[in-house]
Parts: sequence; C-alpha cells; structure tokens
Amino acid sequence: MEILVTYVSVNQRGQPQRDQRRIAGSAFNIGRGSQCQIHLPDPRVALNHARILISETGAFIEAEPGRIQVNGRESEGARLTVGDRIDIGPFIIQVDATPPGRPLALTVVPPSPRSRSVKRLVPRVLQRMPDLSKRRLSYLAFGSMLLIFLFLPILPDLLQGKALPVPDSRRAMLSEVIPAVANGFTQTWNPGPLSRSHQVFGYDCHACHRFPFVRVLDLSCIACHKRIKEHVPMEELTGVRGIAFTDTRCADCHRDHKGSQLMPRTQEQCADCHHDVKDAAPKARSESVTDFVTDHPRFRLSLLDADHPRVIRRVRQANPPSAEMVERSNLKFNHALHLDPGGVRDPEGRRDPAGMRDEKGRRTVLRCADCHQPDADGRLMVSVSMERNCRQCHSLAFEPQVTNRQVPHGSEKEIVTMLREFYARLVLGDMPPDVNPPRDLPRVRPGALLSYKDRQRALRIADEKAQRVLRELFETREVCSTCHEVSRNDGGGWKVAPVRIAQVWMPQALFTHARHSAQACTTCHDVGKSKHAGDIAMPDIAKCRECHVGARAVLNKVTSDCATCHRFHAGRDFWLGTLQAQRQPRSAK
Amino acid sequence: MSQQQSILEYKNGRYLKLAIGLCALAIGAYLWYEPTTVYVKPNGGTWLGYTLGTIGAVLILWLMLLGVRKRRYRSRAGSLQGWTSAHVYIGTSLLVIVTLHCAFEFGWNVHTAAYVLMVLVIVSGFFGVYAYLRYPALMTANLHDAQVETIVLKIADLDRKCRRMALDLPDEVNEIVMKSSRASLREPRVRTSFRRRLAGDTVHCPTRDACAALTRIGAKFTGESASLNQQLLTAMTQKSVMIDQLRRDRRYRAILEIWLVAHVPLSFALLATLIAHVVSVFYFW
Repeated sequence: MEILVTYVSVNQRGQPQRDQRRIAGSAFNIGRGSQCQIHLPDPRVALNHARILISETGAFIEAEPGRIQVNGRESEGARLTVGDRIDIGPFIIQVDATPPGRPLALTVVPPSPRSRSVKRLVPRVLQRMPDLSKRRLSYLAFGSMLLIFLFLPILPDLLQGKALPVPDSRRAMLSEVIPAVANGFTQTWNPGPLSRSHQVFGYDCHACHRFPFVRVLDLSCIACHKRIKEHVPMEELTGVRGIAFTDTRCADCHRDHKGSQLMPRTQEQCADCHHDVKDAAPKARSESVTDFVTDHPRFRLSLLDADHPRVIRRVRQANPPSAEMVERSNLKFNHALHLDPGGVRDPEGRRDPAGMRDEKGRRTVLRCADCHQPDADGRLMVSVSMERNCRQCHSLAFEPQVTNRQVPHGSEKEIVTMLREFYARLVLGDMPPDVNPPRDLPRVRPGALLSYKDRQRALRIADEKAQRVLRELFETREVCSTCHEVSRNDGGGWKVAPVRIAQVWMPQALFTHARHSAQACTTCHDVGKSKHAGDIAMPDIAKCRECHVGARAVLNKVTSDCATCHRFHAGRDFWLGTLQAQRQPRSAK
Repeated sequence: MSQQQSILEYKNGRYLKLAIGLCALAIGAYLWYEPTTVYVKPNGGTWLGYTLGTIGAVLILWLMLLGVRKRRYRSRAGSLQGWTSAHVYIGTSLLVIVTLHCAFEFGWNVHTAAYVLMVLVIVSGFFGVYAYLRYPALMTANLHDAQVETIVLKIADLDRKCRRMALDLPDEVNEIVMKSSRASLREPRVRTSFRRRLAGDTVHCPTRDACAALTRIGAKFTGESASLNQQLLTAMTQKSVMIDQLRRDRRYRAILEIWLVAHVPLSFALLATLIAHVVSVFYFW
C-alpha cells in the first residue's frame, strides 16, 4: 500500500511549491527523526511524534497525550477522515480526498517563517549574565588591587624630588597631604611589628631600607649604633668560614619586623663557626665548642704578675692544676686563718691584759662579706683594700708604748718622712697630749735656747730614733712584712714589693655575683683550707655544671646557651671602624 | 567511558598524586628545615621561604593560564580535561605550599591580603568543582531530551494558542492570559534567579497565578465557555510546566556561571596583589 504525501513549501520567490511523494507501508512514523516516513524537521516536533496506521477499516493516527490536536482538539488517537486537520508542533497536516487506489492522501503545511520577534526570543532567553561581565570585573579587580597595594604605597618615592604639576598655591598643601595619605598605604607593606627599640622610626621605612631593592646595609645600623663592637678582629678571620662570616650583615642576625625582640639567641649560629673555630680563624686561641654541657672547654683565667705589670697570663684550668695556676700578687694572706671557725684575735683584746678577748669575752668570727663586698652593679667584687678591710684589725702603730698613732699605708717615703718629723718634734721638746714620752729619747728642756749645733744634734738623735723604729716596722716587728714582701734597697732603705690583685678573672664571661646571691660564697669559692695568697679559688666548669646545662632544657637545671655567659659584640674595635676599613673601597668602585 | 570520567578521576587521579607529592615535599622540607636553622622563627624570608614562595607564584601564574588554554581550541598542549584536572588539584595544593611559605605568619598587610585572596579563589573553585559535578546531570534530567530552544519555541506557540482561545472568553480571562503571555518569556535575569535559588524557588509567576485564577473563574462557566476554558487551562498548565522547566534550567546555568564571576575577578585581584607582594618584599628588602 502506498499513501500520497504532499509537502507544501515556499520557494525563493515566495510562491508556494508542492512536492508529492508516495510512501509505501502500513504504518508511518511522523517525527523530527530522519528515519520517520513523514519527516517534519523542527525542534518542536519530537523524534517520534505520532504514528499513522492504515488498516482495512481505515486510517488512524495515534500519539502520546498532549502531542497532537485533531481538528483543534487534543487527541491521543483518532480515525482520519477527509478534511481533518492535524496540528503537530508548528506543522499542519490536512487529510485530502483519497485518490483512487490509495488509502490516504495528506498535505503537510510547514510553519510560516518565524517572525522577527520569535527569532530574537531564543537568544534573548539564552543570553547569559547580561550585567555581570567577568572581563570587566577582572580588569576592575586587577586595577584596584594594583592601585591600593602597589601604586599608592610607592607614590611618595615616585614623587620624591619631583615638582607636582599643580599651581604653586596647592603644591605646598599637596606635598604634605600626599605622603601622609600614601604612608598609610605603605604600611600595608609592613610584614610585622617592629622591635620596640625601632618603633621610634614609625612610618619612615627609608630609615633602615635606604635603597630600593637593596638589602638593609650595615651603614643604616651604625648610623645610630656607633659604639657597637665587632665580634673578633676581622683580620684574624682568614679561614673559610671566617671569610664567609665577614660578609655577614647586621640584619642577617638581627631580623626586624618579627616582634618586639631583635636579639637572636641561638647557639647554632655560634656553633656555625665555633664548632671548629680553627676553620674560621686559624690562629684562634680559644677552643672549639658547640654546647656548654657537652664540649665546653675548661675555663681560662686571666692571671696577673705583680712583678710584670704588663703581662696577663691566660691559664686554662686543669686537674691537677698547672704550675702556672698561681696568683703572683706579692701579698701574704692566709684565708684558713682568717676564716677560723673559732674566730680571730680581736684588735681591742690585744690591749686587754687578760688576753685575747674582747669585751664580751669572745674572739671575732669573720665572714666573707666582712672583706668582700659586691660593686655597684653587683657583677664583680670591690677590691679588698687596707684602709677599708684590714686596718680595723691590722694596726700600723709604729711604737705602741709611746702613741697609738699609725704610719700611713702605701708609701715607704711617706713613712720615713712622717717618723723623722714626729721624733724631731719630740726631741725638740714639743710633747703632744696623746704621746707618752719615750724613755730612750733625750729631750730638750722646754724654754731652752738652742744654738745651731744643738739643733743639729737634736735632729740627728731624732733621725737615729726614727731609723730604729723603721727597722722594727719593716724587719723585727714584722708590721709590714705580715702581708708584704719587704726587702732592703740600695740606698739603705726598705722596699715593699708592688702588689697586684686580680679583680676580673674571666673577662670574657658575663658572670654576675648579684644573680647568684642565692648561693653561699663557699658554694663556688672554697678557701677554707687555703693558707697561701697564691692559691686560686675560682670554680671550674664542673662546679658551674652542677646547676647549669646547655641549650637543651633539663629539669631542675638552668638552661644556658652561649649568650648566657658570652657577648657577641665583644671585640676590640668598633664595628663602624671595621666597616669603614672594609667596605669603603668596595662602595668607592 | 572517557567522556563520563569526571575531571577528578582523570587518568586515575594522576594530578591528585602529583599534588599530594608536592604537598608532602613541601611539608617535609618545612619540618626538616625548621629545626636546623632557627635564627628566628620560620618565615617567608628564609631560603626555603623564598623557594616555596617562588613555587607558589609560578603555580598561580600557570593556574591562571587555564583561562587562555581553554580558549585555544587548536592547542595541542595536553587535553583540556587534563588541564582542568591539574588545575583543581594543583590549585588545592597551593593551600599547603603557600601556608608553609608564610609559615603561619599573618597580619593586616598586603602579604596576608594576597593569601586571603588566594584562599577565596580556591574556595570559589571548590564550589565550581561541586557545581560541575552536580548540575550538568540535573540539567539533563530537567530537560529530558528537549533543548532549551525547543522549549522556548513551544512556549511561544502555546502563548499564541492561549491568546487565541482567550479571545472567545470574558475580558477577565483574556486579561489574565495576556498578562501571563507578556511575562512568560521575559525570563528573569540571573541575579533574580540566583536569589530565587537561595529563597527556595518560591516565585511570583504570572502563568502559575493565571492557572489558579482560571480554575477559580472557570467554575462559573457553563456549556461551550466551560469546555473552552478547560482547554485554555490545559494549555496554560502545559506552559507553566515548561516555564518552570526553563527556569530551572536557567537557574542551573546561572549557578554554573556565578562562581566563575567570583573566581575569575578574584584571581585577577590575587595576581595584582601578588605582584605588589613580590615588589614590596624586595623594594624594602
């Protein structure tokens, strides 16, 4: 069986054109799909939209509900009769009069061409985001961020030294306003809070960052820190690491914008060089070290030599101590005697006929602090002196039976002069009230008129007396030689050996007595059995390690890194001078 | 098979492994570096900091090149799917790399601004991945086989039909239909659509209102008017269904686009801030 289908179309001249086709079969699919026998190419038509079935009883159309209209009414299936009109999407299919021999004839009328408004409809509905252009937003975001975070912060530098192209009347105002505003934006570049001491610079980045795109130079630092010392003399740093070290900038260790502290305290930094110090400075006299508790060498003490005032001996502690570990102070002193738990003789008791007793019948027990007092900043001890510490007990009375006057301490010449004058006065008959007339000294009768010869004779007698007393002082009575080495000099006089007592034993250490005041003196300084002034009672490193450990914390111990006892900027010369010597030729290039 | 593979599973997660490796490397370097050199606490100014920062900056530039690559249809520099997969994973790894670069140092400055912008870009990207995994399937399910264009044309046809049918009905009905017809294809703009999505799709739709009104009014009609009204109601309901379909589709499309409206401009803001960050660090070195 064949049916006749007539497609109506409009040709290019706008005239209707008819195209007849014969299609064989008994069932005909109508749809958009190309396999359909009746092909209706339009998106509004489904792939398989409807179906026409031819049987002996007639022609039927069937479709899913809502898809077709037969004669203007929706239908799921209908018998087709001549004159019926079927609406399929935009197409109209008319049932024509059946020609002979054909069961069905159809005319397919296409939709009228889409009107302009419908043509515009689709793109209008499909148009996306008409008012949100990503491109425009991106330009906006990029530009504004660049303005806020790059251009405005850098504006004061760009305007530096340039005249603004504005009238003079406003220039002064603008030249103040622009930096003030722009500085606020420059602060967005600040990576972190300045250390407390540098907060004085405020917004002035160029105080330290002198040149753009150049790291902070030491010159910026020493502009203020003029008195800072170098670490060690630069010329000693001839090793590989040493040379690398000389290139270290201040800011390599002192990193600012990291909070309120600017001091690095990491002994790894020290150990970089000091784990093999000869590698940095081949002539270094110190030994290698990485940590206080593991490999710190024994201490070196700075010892003096009273007979050679320019010599400072650096002697390392050892067990047993080396022969050099002796203090050569030219003094005689017996700590054991002075610290006798039974006490020492009291000076007042010596005049007591009953014996060595004071008013309360006791000897005086001395404590360390009776002679050793801390200095003003609590770090070292004040030097022991005759006037302050010894004289209370050790009298310099030259003739106790005659007078309790004492000779001055310190100069042999002054003593000689004083005694000659004293005895001359007595011989010449002037007797002060605090003096008992010495029996072995002839005196001039008061009121006598003396000839020149008489005077000379009297003074000679006085000199002889003075010489006798001097000999007693220096030799027989052992007043001076109790503590001093006394010898006769060429001119027949006496000479007391010069005295030098060490006050700073460890000049490179930051030891402070005040910080250790919780401890008794004897914890570290064991002098109870010392009978000689040459004995040295400086504690050794093992004593320190009883309380102190290295940089790694240990329970009940004091954590101590290098900086606990040592200062970095402990060199001889100022950093400034070293810098000028080293860097000036470089910058002059 | 390969067409249904999501960008997350591209080549068995090749770029996921790459990103994890990158993060592990960065974390390892950070942990190894920190205890040996403790001049100050870790920061972006150490050599590891500079290294991580450089890697981060290069990656950001490369990630932004996806916008160029996806417009070069003829490019042979890897498949776009591969690029996108790498974009997602490498972009995520930046969270780790850049956080280690700044060593958890934050403040009110350009440096943290760049970091925050980067995080915003990445988070908006996460939403994009979520949207791309979820909404295309919903869109297909929503439209069945039809195309948007078809639905638009069908709505236009139905509109015409309804207007014709309404001609024979009272003015009241005619007015309702005209009102719906005027409004139905003025599809709400994206912003409305996005807001509606947040509001749970309760919208004042003239067509839906018209259906309700026709039902109410239709109860009064008898005879021919009643059946005509019934037909009109059927057509209007069909239109209403299609409009809803179209609206849902527009909504899904809007979601698929809206995140990019944040992602792309934010990434350009990030680029500008990154430039400022790098310049500022070395300007005041």
